[in-house]
Amino acid sequence: MILELGAEALEFGRSSWRAIQAAGGDELVRAVESDPSRRSQLGESVLGPLGAFDIDPWGSPEELEAAAALCRSVGYWGVPYPVEARLGRPRGGRFDALVVVAEAAPAAAGAGLRLRWAAAGLDGVLYSATPRAGGDQPRRSAFVCPLALEAVGTAQPLEVALALVLPCWTLLGMLDRAVALAGQHVLGRRQFDQPLASFQGVQFQLTEAEVERLGVEELAKYALWSLQTGRPEAVDDALALRLAAIEAAETVFRVAHQLHGAIGFCDETPLSWLSRYSVPIRRLPLGASATRSELTARIGGRGLTGLYSPPASP
Amino acid sequence: MGAQVADLRARLRELVRSEVPEGYLGAFSDDPADLEVAQRFCRTLADEQLLCVAWPPEWGGRGASPWEQTAVREEMWAHHEPRGAQYMGVNWVGPTIMRHGTAEQQSRHLPGIARGEVIWCQGFSEPDAGSDLASLRTAARRDGEVWRVSGQKIWTSYATVAQWCFLLARTSSEEKKQRGLTIFLVPMSAPGIVVRPIQTMLGPHHLNEVFFDDVAVPDADVLGGVGDGWNVVQEVLSFERVGIARYARCERLLQWAPVVLAERWAGLGEDLRGRWARMLVHARRARLLAYRVVDTQSRGQVRPADAAAYRIAVTRLDQESAEVLVEIAGSVAPDTPEARRFCRAVEDHCRYSAAATVASGSVEMQRILMSRSLLAPR
Ligand SMILES: Cc1cc2nc3c(=O)[nH]c(=O)nc-3n(C[C@H](O)[C@H](O)[C@H](O)COP(=O)(O)OP(=O)(O)OC[C@H]3O[C@@H](n4cnc5c(N)ncnc54)[C@H](O)[C@@H]3O)c2cc1C
Repeated sequence: MILELGAEALEFGRSSWRAIQAAGGDELVRAVESDPSRRSQLGESVLGPLGAFDIDPWGSPEELEAAAALCRSVGYWGVPYPVEARLGRPRGGRFDALVVVAEAAPAAAGAGLRLRWAAAGLDGVLYSATPRAGGDQPRRSAFVCPLALEAVGTAQPLEVALALVLPCWTLLGMLDRAVALAGQHVLGRRQFDQPLASFQGVQFQLTEAEVERLGVEELAKYALWSLQTGRPEAVDDALALRLAAIEAAETVFRVAHQLHGAIGFCDETPLSWLSRYSVPIRRLPLGASATRSELTARIGGRGLTGLYSPPASP
Repeated sequence: MGAQVADLRARLRELVRSEVPEGYLGAFSDDPADLEVAQRFCRTLADEQLLCVAWPPEWGGRGASPWEQTAVREEMWAHHEPRGAQYMGVNWVGPTIMRHGTAEQQSRHLPGIARGEVIWCQGFSEPDAGSDLASLRTAARRDGEVWRVSGQKIWTSYATVAQWCFLLARTSSEEKKQRGLTIFLVPMSAPGIVVRPIQTMLGPHHLNEVFFDDVAVPDADVLGGVGDGWNVVQEVLSFERVGIARYARCERLLQWAPVVLAERWAGLGEDLRGRWARMLVHARRARLLAYRVVDTQSRGQVRPADAAAYRIAVTRLDQESAEVLVEIAGSVAPDTPEARRFCRAVEDHCRYSAAATVASGSVEMQRILMSRSLLAPR
């Protein structure tokens, strides 16, 4: 089990965090939303120089961890670029990016990028995917568009698992940021002649969010370990992470918005951007209920691997 | 974690299978035989140095790693704590005496705990001092060679069966109420102590009142310095940092459910099976949050907010999983011995989990602690 990412991965996460900050940080999403044609440049001008696309998550456990750490930093800054899909591309060089889709309504945050997309169903069918017109303007869609699919083969379970796990690392970065923003806000904002942070009602909401965030962090490391060791239940572990991550995001963003008050909805606060751009990851390929159903169907009565599975005979 | 932990876990499971009757729900029931099982089991563990695994060899332990201690906590709690009340002696009474006790106190108390022969109780809470423990009023005043203790403790678990009390009392009134508190190691047989059990939904022995009426305690039974009680209590709490491995019992019961229901499992509604799956995720999450604390602890660091986060997550898991399990148990026809054991274990879990967010300090106190570190000015 991984209790902490390796030192190299952590350092890579930190240096990419600083590089994104230097490249504009919070400004990146604003700039790209006002001029969507700049979206594809993010890959070339910000992420490429970091070596993002040279990482081969299948190459070594260290590279897999580096990929996770990068996604987390990208999530923190809400960079509107599907780095997780690119890092999770299928082996073989035929595609640039992979997303897991719900076959009934395939979609991805793929608008405005010239990439060779692959999509995988949870059942393991691999598709070649083409972003279609029909997505809303980015302000409403966060670059999500429908995909046209053409079956081309089979995705390996570990590929599916990776394509589920990496977006959760991006979402984790967003949760890191949302909790940090909420904390800063309540320390700075005064009402009734005191910082909001001095009210217990405020403190307790924040701890609620933090417990959720920490839980995602631990499950994300677990799912990564499950992948690294090629465990047969890696997809179960990825779905377990995804379920917890979506539920956590619900709590964290609800709390972060609530504690910000009206200012949190304004374009001038990073929270409002982060909140909008977290939506695609939370909704696609499946939201909380459908993710839970999928996990339930998969594990049947076997349960999740843990201390007492196969079930302890009492 | 590794092979050592796996071996230890396997041995503990073997011992539980051979020494603890099937369907055992812990030492504290109306049947005195259950307490005897626990007392016997503690001696069996002690014979293999498994009772106090983490203690140094000179005091009857194996000097085990925090990961081995974790395995012990998990296996014991998962199997309804067959050590009975003695987990307290092992987890914090002994270690605190090792750190603060005189040589005489150490040789008097530690061997008995390590042999699995002594039950301790914790005399902290009072009717008017719960979360605000430092407001306690039970007083010890000097009277020549001895201290005289008078006052009342409440919620004292196992006081009816304990031989010793780890008592926190006020020895002086200071401006700051955390000062002037002192720990006494008091035999429950001392004249002037009266224990009154409290009937509760949690079952017998869990909650009691203990009255002290001019109980004479010699100086030799003061632990640590006079007036130093608050610091000692903080250490007690730090030994308990990871606390009970509640997730282990939740996980075991959750994993047991489909086995008991067998072919009827698929007939449970999708929603209920979905809630069950979600609880398994939460059990894993709580376990990993516990490991996060153990990991930092094993590197000699302390991050109180992590421990608080774990406590908040695990106590909620305890209660939410109880709701789900009760609903599942409702669909079990108790027509086999195993089904009956399952239903009884779930009923027990459900009743006991209600206290999870209050016992050993309420979750609100954990939230206060956590927000202190979250909102510390940077
Ligand atoms: C099963 C069980 C076993 C126990 N065993 C022992 C034992 O062996 N020895 C022992 O000494 N004690 C024992 N206790 C007592 C336990 O430590 C106390 O119950 C606990 O500290 C809470 O105190 P209280 O019950 O007086 O609740 P109170 O302190 O009255 O609190 C009631 C509620 O108010 C909340 N509250 C209080 N203050 C604040 C605040 N400042 N901000 C927000 N919320 C607040 C609490 O969180 C709680 O939800 C046991 C309790 C239980 C349930």
